[in-house]
Amino acid sequence: MFDASRPMQGRSWKGVSFGQAQFHRLSALITLVLLIIGFGFANQAFFSVNNGLTVLLQTSVIGLLGIGMTMVIITGGIDLSVGSVLALSGVITAMSVKAGLPVAPAMLVGVVAGALCGAFNGFVITRLRIPPFVATLGMMLIARGLALQLTGARPISQLGEAFGVLGNGALFRVVEMQANGFPKVIFPGIPYPAILMFAMAIAAAYLLNRRQVGRHIYATGSNEEAARLSGVRTNRTKLFAYTMSGALAGIAGNVLMSRLVTAQPSEGVMYELDAIAAAVIGGASLSGGVGTISGTMIGAFIIGILRNGLNMAGVSAFIQQIVIGFVVIGAVWIDQVRSRKSD
Amino acid sequence: MSRTPLVDMIGIEKHFGGVRAVDHVSVDLYPGEVVGLLGHNGAGKSCLMKILAGAMVPNEGEIRVDGKTVHFAEPNDARAAGVETIYQTLALSDHLDAPANLFLGRELKTRFGNLDDARMLREAREVLARLNPNFKNLRDPVSSLSGGQRQVIAIARAIYFDTKILIMDEPTAALGPSETAMVADLILKLRDEGIGIFLVSHDMHDVFDLCDRVVVMNKGRVVGAHPINEVTKDDVLSLIIKGELPADWSAKNLEPTD
Repeated sequence: MFDASRPMQGRSWKGVSFGQAQFHRLSALITLVLLIIGFGFANQAFFSVNNGLTVLLQTSVIGLLGIGMTMVIITGGIDLSVGSVLALSGVITAMSVKAGLPVAPAMLVGVVAGALCGAFNGFVITRLRIPPFVATLGMMLIARGLALQLTGARPISQLGEAFGVLGNGALFRVVEMQANGFPKVIFPGIPYPAILMFAMAIAAAYLLNRRQVGRHIYATGSNEEAARLSGVRTNRTKLFAYTMSGALAGIAGNVLMSRLVTAQPSEGVMYELDAIAAAVIGGASLSGGVGTISGTMIGAFIIGILRNGLNMAGVSAFIQQIVIGFVVIGAVWIDQVRSRKSD
Repeated sequence: MSRTPLVDMIGIEKHFGGVRAVDHVSVDLYPGEVVGLLGHNGAGKSCLMKILAGAMVPNEGEIRVDGKTVHFAEPNDARAAGVETIYQTLALSDHLDAPANLFLGRELKTRFGNLDDARMLREAREVLARLNPNFKNLRDPVSSLSGGQRQVIAIARAIYFDTKILIMDEPTAALGPSETAMVADLILKLRDEGIGIFLVSHDMHDVFDLCDRVVVMNKGRVVGAHPINEVTKDDVLSLIIKGELPADWSAKNLEPTD
């Protein structure tokens, strides 16, 4: 499974069950391509550069959450709190800005707050021995409640132009001044959120595949007691995974609030389910030990493109929920079939 | 024997609620010695071995390794003291491959702290080939390997590192006859290298073939500890089942041969 001669994601999987995981990821990739082709035929505008970048932008929040979720799921856990932590973290960044902190350190404060929420999850799970589902469900309520209480349930706006750069800026943006004095956008640029997501994905894949802590994350999820007996500090490993998940939720929160240039304490409801869906569609197993960042990225893009394509096709938001609901069930069903086979 | 024992476990106690799983047990182990640990399921032998392996912390008692008192709070501490364990469950991570399992918890790293998978694969290939020349599919997750191959990984993991004390919990339970013979050879070879071995087994045959001494546990207590040439299989069975020697017992090796 871990091939040193290949970097990051292009690993060779030869074993039976990993052949299945490989197959799962491949089928997710094929689904993604089919979706793109299908929506492309349905609507000419789908293939435009602008729409492609919109999809990148829309997917980046799910993608960021999905990266952390994947680490947690590989340890055999689940993190239901990321949507709420995202909101809390964005709110704390906005409050820091309001308190006079420059934007960059304020965002750091927000991300640290997210990491602390994650660490609290990890603490409750490893020390108090509360199942991850319950522990993070608690945090989901705590973080949401905190975000609402701190803001009095009112959005924080007028945060200044600098606050919006992370969410709305883009790299390689090419703008040309026209003769009539109006600027013309030649290439809108790659949105910062997408760059951030890919950077985090590469960092997380590196962590999971090339570092000891990543190996231990897989070992812990594969068989926790065996890992412990083999000298893996499973509690520390899980604490790490949940802290990472919290920090990534914090980053996602800052991206989202920055995009809106407003901190919304009620933002991000049910995002945890999108993140879980992205990981599971990408081949992560809820029983632990299996999952890849590249798979989760594919899963996030399937959800993002599905939303985008359905939007463009004029499908109502209600129908979209129904469709995505079926996709999630389908993905988990595939996961179940797969783990039944490999038993 | 006047030498310092390799392991000296003194007055070990472990309770779970009101249940005394290990009740004031003392055992010792000398270098180059194989001690068989026998008893019913639930007699406390696995529990005792987990305490020595650092997987369980005793409520009371003292462990000395090479005469020095040690405290094992987690398996890493025991490993650092040279105590290696082959668990009955093998304690393998099913989704990882053989090298990853062999080095789990003490991965080899490159200069930059990255996992050195190439070197781990090389080393694993070498040590596994010594135990089983047919072991070729090293990159497969261990869940897809045969019981024998999995056992070989668990054994390789215990002897690859600087081992002084080896705990083997039912090492041959999953093995066929030829592999069992291989493990028996290995035990004797390790013994000759001066490693002390605790062999937990139900197989009376193995015990009498391999062990220098037997310790029998019953209901958390040690009910008998004898050099192997002092007892018969029936004597040991009686200890296991009744918790005492046959009424007319006398040391076998001291009996007049008439």
